[in-house]
Amino acid sequence: MRQAIKNPFKSISLLRREAVHEKTDQMYAFRAMVRKEFTDYITSWRIIILLVLILLTCVGSLYTAITTIQDAIDQNENASQIAKDSFLFLKLFTISDGTLPSFITFVSFLGPLLGVALGFDAINSERNKGTLSRLMSQPIPRDYVLNAKFTAALLLNTVLFFSLGLLVMSLGILILGIPPTGEEFLRIFCFLVLCIAYIAFWLNLGILFSVRFKQPATSALAAIAIWLFFNLFYNMIVQLLAKTILNPANITSTADAVSKQGLVLNLMRLSPNYLFTESTNTLLSPTVRTLGPLTVEQSAGAIAGPLPLSQSLILIWPQLTGLIASTFICFAISYLLFMRQEIRSK
Amino acid sequence: MFRKFTSLTLTLLLLVSFFFTGNGVKAAGGLTLFTPYSGLSVTPGETLTYDVTVINSNSSINNVTFDVEGLPEGWDYTISASGNDIRQLSIRENSEENIRFEINVPLEVEKADYSFQLIADGSGNAYAELPFLTTVSEEGTFQSELSVEQANLEGHADATFSYSATLRNRTADQQTYALSAGAQEGWGVQFKADGNNVTSVTIEPGATKDISIDLTPPNNIQADTYSIPIQASTNSTSAEANLEAVITGSYGVSISTPEGNLSTDITAGKERTVDLVVENTGTATLNDISISASTPPNWNAEFDSNSLATLEAGDSKMVKATLTAPDDAIAGDYVTTFTAETAEASSDANFRVSVETSTWWGIIGIVIILIVIGGLYYIFRTYGRR
Repeated sequence: MRQAIKNPFKSISLLRREAVHEKTDQMYAFRAMVRKEFTDYITSWRIIILLVLILLTCVGSLYTAITTIQDAIDQNENASQIAKDSFLFLKLFTISDGTLPSFITFVSFLGPLLGVALGFDAINSERNKGTLSRLMSQPIPRDYVLNAKFTAALLLNTVLFFSLGLLVMSLGILILGIPPTGEEFLRIFCFLVLCIAYIAFWLNLGILFSVRFKQPATSALAAIAIWLFFNLFYNMIVQLLAKTILNPANITSTADAVSKQGLVLNLMRLSPNYLFTESTNTLLSPTVRTLGPLTVEQSAGAIAGPLPLSQSLILIWPQLTGLIASTFICFAISYLLFMRQEIRSK
Repeated sequence: MFRKFTSLTLTLLLLVSFFFTGNGVKAAGGLTLFTPYSGLSVTPGETLTYDVTVINSNSSINNVTFDVEGLPEGWDYTISASGNDIRQLSIRENSEENIRFEINVPLEVEKADYSFQLIADGSGNAYAELPFLTTVSEEGTFQSELSVEQANLEGHADATFSYSATLRNRTADQQTYALSAGAQEGWGVQFKADGNNVTSVTIEPGATKDISIDLTPPNNIQADTYSIPIQASTNSTSAEANLEAVITGSYGVSISTPEGNLSTDITAGKERTVDLVVENTGTATLNDISISASTPPNWNAEFDSNSLATLEAGDSKMVKATLTAPDDAIAGDYVTTFTAETAEASSDANFRVSVETSTWWGIIGIVIILIVIGGLYYIFRTYGRR
């Protein structure tokens, strides 16, 4: 606009063409950066080791799930009907014979680690190596660095989880011989999207720390500390609180008990881990009908049966909203911090 | 000489007639017939049996032959002694013999008094007559009779009507009767004799047989009085009777939806109106049908009319039910049972109600994410590209 005011004789079409040029150039630059980051990720040992770890554990859990299911199928005659009724295909992700944890346990445990590993040194390692200021000398907007790193990590994440999910499904079809129904397929798809959103949260947390802390070790430790806190300690702390809150001596009525139970549940839901667990359970076990405390009045007259996918989604919508919103908020904070930072301060 | 002989005979006859007052009638030559019951009453088809004593008062052996005079046409007789049919009887001097005189009365005979004589013709001029008087007490028919003890029965449409009848063969021959009923379509008719299901019975002449008839009315028969003729027939004779079944009608009610679809969905905290159809499936009019619902706790069901005053047989009426689910109903399927009830019949319809939770919170979630994205966009605009 300023240019247009400076040169009033320049034709508008030329102006527009220039603007388009500028935009496509920038898009090209952004794409190149994403491609470069993506190559960096998949060639770095750190990520390769993590990927191999995730792949191995998932294949292991899939194996135990399949043997468990096959045993159950062999014992029954009309297996394919039972499979359809009980959403057998979803059990590939949730069932385990006790020797190895199930697929969702592995994902909820290793997924955050992958996210943190992808993000914790995104900015500060570039800064320490001095490549950030060199990058900034290129004619690209500053936020492209951050955006490209986030996009590349998210892309890797998406590719990884969709290939994992499809791998599990195809192996399931091959070994069990039972195809998934349309609803089962959609549920698995939603589950994979949920996994990606969950890992994106940890990725953003890692990026946030990589912007905030100058040393990659500090940011890695901080991110892992938070991961450990939510994975192990938060649960204990809430249970400790729950002991006091749910002390039978303090409860006066049913309504009181329900509200206090709800309070404990809401405390638990501050943890992204818990949100993820609730959501995966609801998505992969269609018989889950509610996540809160349930009164007898509510359950009387109910027919035990699976919920349709839309109802399951509505049930976990608050959880999904929380996860996605906190992902965006983390990104927004790291964006703000990054944009205000002095880059050439080394 | 002859005159003397004649007067002697007459004197003797007179003497004998005085001696056997009323019985040993018309005897000559020292031969007399005697029976104590010479006038018997009989029904058609029966056999009359007389024990007759033949008395020979001569001093010589008398050979006697018998004959019957005045026997009506169609009647026949046998004479036997000691179990043998006899043609001739030989009696020692001053002795007597017992014979059995049997008359078979035919079936086709008029009600009247009949008289006939047994004649004993001995050697020489020995001769005796014994008159009999037989009263046939009823009209002989020479046909079959079918009589029903209680021809009128009342019951519900789903009851079985059991009649007992007696079939009597009054012909001279053994008859095999084919049993049939002129029932309208849909009726079940079963004849039974001696506890077995039969379609024909064989009856000796003059014998009877008890037959029971089970009638099963067709489904959904209208309340009315039905007359069912039954017949037992052979090629020569037949007998008929009429059965009457008074049906008081059946009671049946059914509740459903116009399409028969027994499921619906409802949003928690909202209402859902369900169209119900109450139908009288019986054959009698139903009165005072009450309609109710059994819902999960805290649910509410209201009807535009809680009861129907009357419903004719075969008619149906629409009822609107409004279901309300509580706010805190959880998603999933619930059972609600609608009941239509009268004193006589009732019907249930189990509804599968799928509760859907309000999408309101879903919209709020999307709004929150949109706000966050908007904030991000604002940050991009403010801090990016500088």
